[in-house]
Amino acid sequence: MIIENTQTQMRKGILEYCILSIISKGETYASDIIADLKKSQMLVVEGTLYPLLTRLKNNGLLTYNWVESTSGPPRKYYVLSPEGRVVLEQLDKTWQELSSAVQTALENRK
Amino acid sequence: MNKTIIININGIVFHIEEDAYEILRSYMTDVKRHFANEEDSIEITTDIENRIAEMFTEILARENRPVVVTTDVTTVIGLMGTIEDFETEAEQQSATYTEKQFSDTRKLFRDPDDHLLGGVCAGIANYFDIDTVWVRLAFALTTFLGGSGVIAYIILWIIVPKAVTRADKMAMKGERLDLKGFVKNFEEEVKNVHHTLNNASHHARPFVYKVRDFISDFFDHFKYFLTGAGKVFLKLVGILILMLCLTFIVMDIIGLTFFTAQGRDVFHVFPFSVINNGYSDIIAFSAFAVIAIPALAIMLSTLKVIFNSRVMGRSTGYTMLILWIVALTFLGYYSSKVVADFKEEASFSQTVNIKATANNTYYLKLNDVKYLSKEDSIQLDINDKFKGRIILNDDDEDDNRYETRPQSVNIYIERSDVSQPVLVESFSARGYSKKQALANATNSSYYFAQKDSVLNFDRTLKIPFNALWRNQEVKLTLRIPKNAILVIDRKLERYVNDLSLWECARANKNENATTATFVMTNTGLECKVDTLVQPVPNNVPVIDTIINQQ
Repeated sequence: MIIENTQTQMRKGILEYCILSIISKGETYASDIIADLKKSQMLVVEGTLYPLLTRLKNNGLLTYNWVESTSGPPRKYYVLSPEGRVVLEQLDKTWQELSSAVQTALENRK
Repeated sequence: MNKTIIININGIVFHIEEDAYEILRSYMTDVKRHFANEEDSIEITTDIENRIAEMFTEILARENRPVVVTTDVTTVIGLMGTIEDFETEAEQQSATYTEKQFSDTRKLFRDPDDHLLGGVCAGIANYFDIDTVWVRLAFALTTFLGGSGVIAYIILWIIVPKAVTRADKMAMKGERLDLKGFVKNFEEEVKNVHHTLNNASHHARPFVYKVRDFISDFFDHFKYFLTGAGKVFLKLVGILILMLCLTFIVMDIIGLTFFTAQGRDVFHVFPFSVINNGYSDIIAFSAFAVIAIPALAIMLSTLKVIFNSRVMGRSTGYTMLILWIVALTFLGYYSSKVVADFKEEASFSQTVNIKATANNTYYLKLNDVKYLSKEDSIQLDINDKFKGRIILNDDDEDDNRYETRPQSVNIYIERSDVSQPVLVESFSARGYSKKQALANATNSSYYFAQKDSVLNFDRTLKIPFNALWRNQEVKLTLRIPKNAILVIDRKLERYVNDLSLWECARANKNENATTATFVMTNTGLECKVDTLVQPVPNNVPVIDTIINQQ
């Protein structure tokens, strides 16, 4: 139970960071995000992505544009808001710190 | 072979197989419920719906198929993830306190596995861990107590979600119940309540979904009702129709034998005495067919539609239709012949002199004497058994067989210029010709008798036993001199025209008076008010007697 909880907590923070960094490359569609996340085993099912995107959007980190699609309903293409960019830069910094901290901790264990 | 349904996902139309649709619908219901507590539940579910629509479009385009099948739905759900996937991956990210509050203990759901209607009762029973029967009984009782149970049930049906997933059902039956549930402290409870209140505005939106769920649920159950109980109900209705038709036909047959074989006596009684003797059989048969054939047709169609048995071929149907039309034609033809017998009217009059009385007063009475036929007299053995006895009739006129006819006697009272009072009897009748009409009129007779100052009027015009009814009538005009006093029996009320005995009795402030007194004046009869009513002479028979009519 505790281990599952920790894993979820770790993944939760990292997931948002990953999503922001994927979107930072430009206008991104949800299924593109999913494809990237699946490659990195961060997320398995698509359904979980939508609440996350909605929440990030509500927090002002993302905006989206409707783009007409040939295969189905209009698509939402997400982009980072200026605020989102600032947050991403901060997260980048935090990640570097965390990463090196974790690295050090792991090396010390050996 | 599979039934295909057309669905519309946010504006994109798909043909989808019924099985596949059921899976998809159940999945979307789960998804909507899962996100119901999220801030933007509608946006999230719309995103998911749109993506599902896109996936379907891609699959159909790739495989060049027009219809979404079950495997497509399962593939899409696999990609999108089930509720369990959502829960393990993302629940803690947006852990809502309301969810937590109930997850430790039982959760109120509608039980789809044990339902009569919406599963509300079973759900409540699960929640309190009691037998469903008691909850149902309670609802049934409150229903009798002013119907509040019905309203409560419908409200619960709307607001309580249906247990769809395995997790829901476990939560419903309290299988996740553990120690944690008991040690929850008071502070946490208060906080939860606070949170729930804060979230009230967010709950308002999912209510739209709940209503939508409820409606789809309702039709689901209605469908079961139609396919299951509905079929039974339909068959019961069918049996009812069959029994009604059968009764109708049996009664029709009884009527037919009554009018043809059993006895033609009925054709001497008024409504049937209209029909000419020669026509009675054919009219009876065609009337029978006109009634029985449609009843039979309804029976056969009921059998065909509800019990699916082909008892009636196309030719049978046509034969019945033709027979019915033939019967209707006969009935119409002979009815019109009977009606033609009423074409002409003829009348004749005769005058009866009335002996003038000394005090110029006349008592007009209804002849209460009733006649027994010769057969009746023999049957009752009148001469021996009733020797020296008096048979009393009640005043009810309905038991008189002649009264089945429309009223045939009308009395008018006029002022006579001469001192001799007279009664003018004017007989009239109808027939296909003047001659026939006159013959019918002369066949009838009227009984009028004077006994001292009492004038007895019979109730009806007498027509011979075998005669047809051709609207035989008699108009009696009593002509009396000026200042003559008439004491009229109230029983004559309906026979006397242009006079209201009741109003006269009321004018004398005695509405229960048996007689009304009138005086003939220059302008006609006038009610005599506030004078002493003449005492009824002793020789007027108070008790009705029976005259043996030989």
